Amino acid sequence: MNDVLVGRNLTKRFGQTVALDGVDLAVRTAEAVAIMGPSGSGKSTLLHCLAGIMRPDEGEVHLLGQRIDAMGERRRSALRRTRFGFVFQFGQLLPELPAEENVALPLMLGGVSRQRAVRQAREWFAPLGLRGMEARRPGELSGGQAQRVAIARALVARPAVVFADEPTGALDQRTGQDTMRLLVEATRHNDASLIVVTHDSNVAAWCDRTVEVRDGHLVAMSGATA
Amino acid sequence: MNLDLTWRLLKGGGRKGLLGVWLTLGAVAVSTALLLFAVAANLAFDARAERGAWRNPVPAAGDAVAVEASRFDYVRDQVITVVDLAALRPDAAPPPGLPRFPKPGETWLSPALAELARDLPPAELGDRYPRRAGVLGDEALVYPGELVAVVGHAPDAPAMTAERSDDWIVAKPPVRVASLAGTPSEDAEAYKVLAVIASVLMVVPLLVFGGAAARLTVARRDRRLAALRLVGATPGQVVRMTVAEAVLVALAGALAGAVAFALAVPYLTRIEIQGGAWFAGDLFPGLAVLAGVLVAVPLLVGLSAVAGLRRVVVSPLGVAKRETPPGMRFVRVLALLVVLAVFPMLTQGTSVAIVAVALGLAFLCLNLAGPWVVGLIGRITAGTARGPARLLAGRRLVDDPRSAWRTVSGVALTGFVAGFLGLLSPGAFAVDDRPLQLRVLAPAGQAEQVAGQARERLAAAKVPAVVTVVKRTVVAAPSGPLDTAGMDRARTALAELVPGRTATTEADEGRFGEQILLDVRVGTIVVLSVSFLVAIASAGITAASSVLDRRQTYGLLRLAGTPLEVLDRARRAETLIPLGVMGGGAILVGAFCATPFMIGGISVAGVVTLVVCVVLGFAGVIGAGALSRPLLRSVTADPAPRPD
Repeated sequence: MNDVLVGRNLTKRFGQTVALDGVDLAVRTAEAVAIMGPSGSGKSTLLHCLAGIMRPDEGEVHLLGQRIDAMGERRRSALRRTRFGFVFQFGQLLPELPAEENVALPLMLGGVSRQRAVRQAREWFAPLGLRGMEARRPGELSGGQAQRVAIARALVARPAVVFADEPTGALDQRTGQDTMRLLVEATRHNDASLIVVTHDSNVAAWCDRTVEVRDGHLVAMSGATA
Repeated sequence: MNLDLTWRLLKGGGRKGLLGVWLTLGAVAVSTALLLFAVAANLAFDARAERGAWRNPVPAAGDAVAVEASRFDYVRDQVITVVDLAALRPDAAPPPGLPRFPKPGETWLSPALAELARDLPPAELGDRYPRRAGVLGDEALVYPGELVAVVGHAPDAPAMTAERSDDWIVAKPPVRVASLAGTPSEDAEAYKVLAVIASVLMVVPLLVFGGAAARLTVARRDRRLAALRLVGATPGQVVRMTVAEAVLVALAGALAGAVAFALAVPYLTRIEIQGGAWFAGDLFPGLAVLAGVLVAVPLLVGLSAVAGLRRVVVSPLGVAKRETPPGMRFVRVLALLVVLAVFPMLTQGTSVAIVAVALGLAFLCLNLAGPWVVGLIGRITAGTARGPARLLAGRRLVDDPRSAWRTVSGVALTGFVAGFLGLLSPGAFAVDDRPLQLRVLAPAGQAEQVAGQARERLAAAKVPAVVTVVKRTVVAAPSGPLDTAGMDRARTALAELVPGRTATTEADEGRFGEQILLDVRVGTIVVLSVSFLVAIASAGITAASSVLDRRQTYGLLRLAGTPLEVLDRARRAETLIPLGVMGGGAILVGAFCATPFMIGGISVAGVVTLVVCVVLGFAGVIGAGALSRPLLRSVTADPAPRPD
């Protein structure tokens, strides 16, 4: 399988603090990678650099061979919209939109008509165990249901890579496990790669590979390596 | 302990939390300053009415001490109020502003008139008021710079016994009075009524704005306070903490507003009404009122905060978990319809208090119906949206119509004011094509004799004029063009030609009506300016607070690649769609409420004011909303947004 996303020699500083120090990471197509590490180790910074949210001070990020860290904010923003999907710990759903419109939103932002976007969005509900929840608003969903809606939204535009930042952080263990299973299965089913930032080894266990970040360095890897 | 925790919450809100506090503080400051202005305006008109009361004599029921009469004279196109006084008893108390009762033949001039008499040639003014004994104090004047002359007479002097016009707009005939206290004149009372109406129109949007500001504090805190409820804080503790925080911020805002008002007073005194500017003292509301406002505003803000917190207190999950908001009841619109149905029954004969209450009710009902209509607009917008921006805007309107209404309510309510005053403003000013002739009514059977004297006096003053007699009226028409100096020479020449009467032009006689029209116009502009200020401040503050409230969602949407333009467009649509519908609706309601009070047809000036109002309102709200765009950019630039 080919590398879909490659980060080389990624370095990021915040004032005197070195958050990332020459990190190399490559992710293959449909591969699930967990990034672990204690708080403040630099794992979220690594995710932000790889996702084009943040520009590294040094190093390069390539998506399918195209360098993205040198792009302007507008192009990186468009890239995030079309090629990446995101699942956060909480708060990513718009509270005033029903679940189906939350899922349809990335498609509408990409220019798909509302009718078609909602139709496509609805297709994600049954596979993720959300049948009947289409018209519910986020406030009327449980934490696990809301995360599954977020997974549907992250995948609806068929991204190349899904980034998940502590996706089960606000869920109980059983719901967290269910959510991770659905996240891994759904991304794999769509040939998308998955990068999960977590400090929970149970979450990381769902991934093909785990990398550990400590003080801005990749210090350990487990599972299949690049 | 609660206060300590409240203070920690207030301080610990972070940079953006503090920005929210500043926004609330600013909103309360603006509200307080404008509230003080609305209150001070009423007190100022009261003060004017009281100061001018001595010129409006009350007939003595028993023994009289003096005889008082008044009339109007003119110089350089300005009105001079002439008060003729005669003492009936040596111990008669002088009127305000005079150290002693004027002796027969003496004249006392107001400072501005005295200055004018010094500056102009005697033949133009000074000769009308010979034997000047002194200058009137400010207590005698309705406004600084007013032209007033007090002329002393003997009780049997022709000026105090001759027949005068009984039209109070032109003159007041001699009246035997027990004192010179007098009573506020009819026109002063009319101005007080207009001031009350203007205050109602200004205060209601202010209260709405103040309430919005209070809820702004709660909106920022509700999640945190709901969390406190979840960990076991009692409803009482939550309420006390909220009230403490809101009152603390409001008190600071109220103090800032009072200072801002005090600083603005010198500028506000320049607004000319009734022909003149104001004494600064008139616009200072007094310590008691000031203290009252400084207590009332934080209290009202506290109460509003409690009302906003009801959901948190009732159910801690109500805010912590967002649910479908309950639909608003149609009764809100029904209330407005009932008030509108009753409004046409009000006629000009109805008491002012009832009109003011009805106007206030219509205003409040419009404010009640607003969120319901916004919700309806939201459902229609969301239902018909094709793109993400309109969909977001529509759903947001449905989700929280009250918040959306707060953003546009200022301009919508201003639309009501504009609609009301637009029709109420009586017509444009007539083009002045009246003949420049001085006319004076002669005593019965003496018209020819008076005309002869007029010819002699005018010739002596070197004013070429043709003097004719029409029935009892002696008419002096200048033979050629006459400038204002020439006109004043003619007026001076004809002074005291007929005791107790002044030679006047047609324009002079229409001056009172024109002044009222001018004042209604100025009042309209003042009310609209205040409403605008409130509306635009309200739009700016609510737009900024909306960004702050939703910063986490906006931030995550931006991270996921949503263009800033889409978020901004959604925000704009969220404001402009209800603004267009509600602003237009409010103007129509305002115009409808004004119809029972319309004088003549629709006023062109009023319609122009209305159009300017709508354009400025929209531009102001768009501008105020645009000001929060950098804030939106700033909050969405945060790469790792976290909830509070």
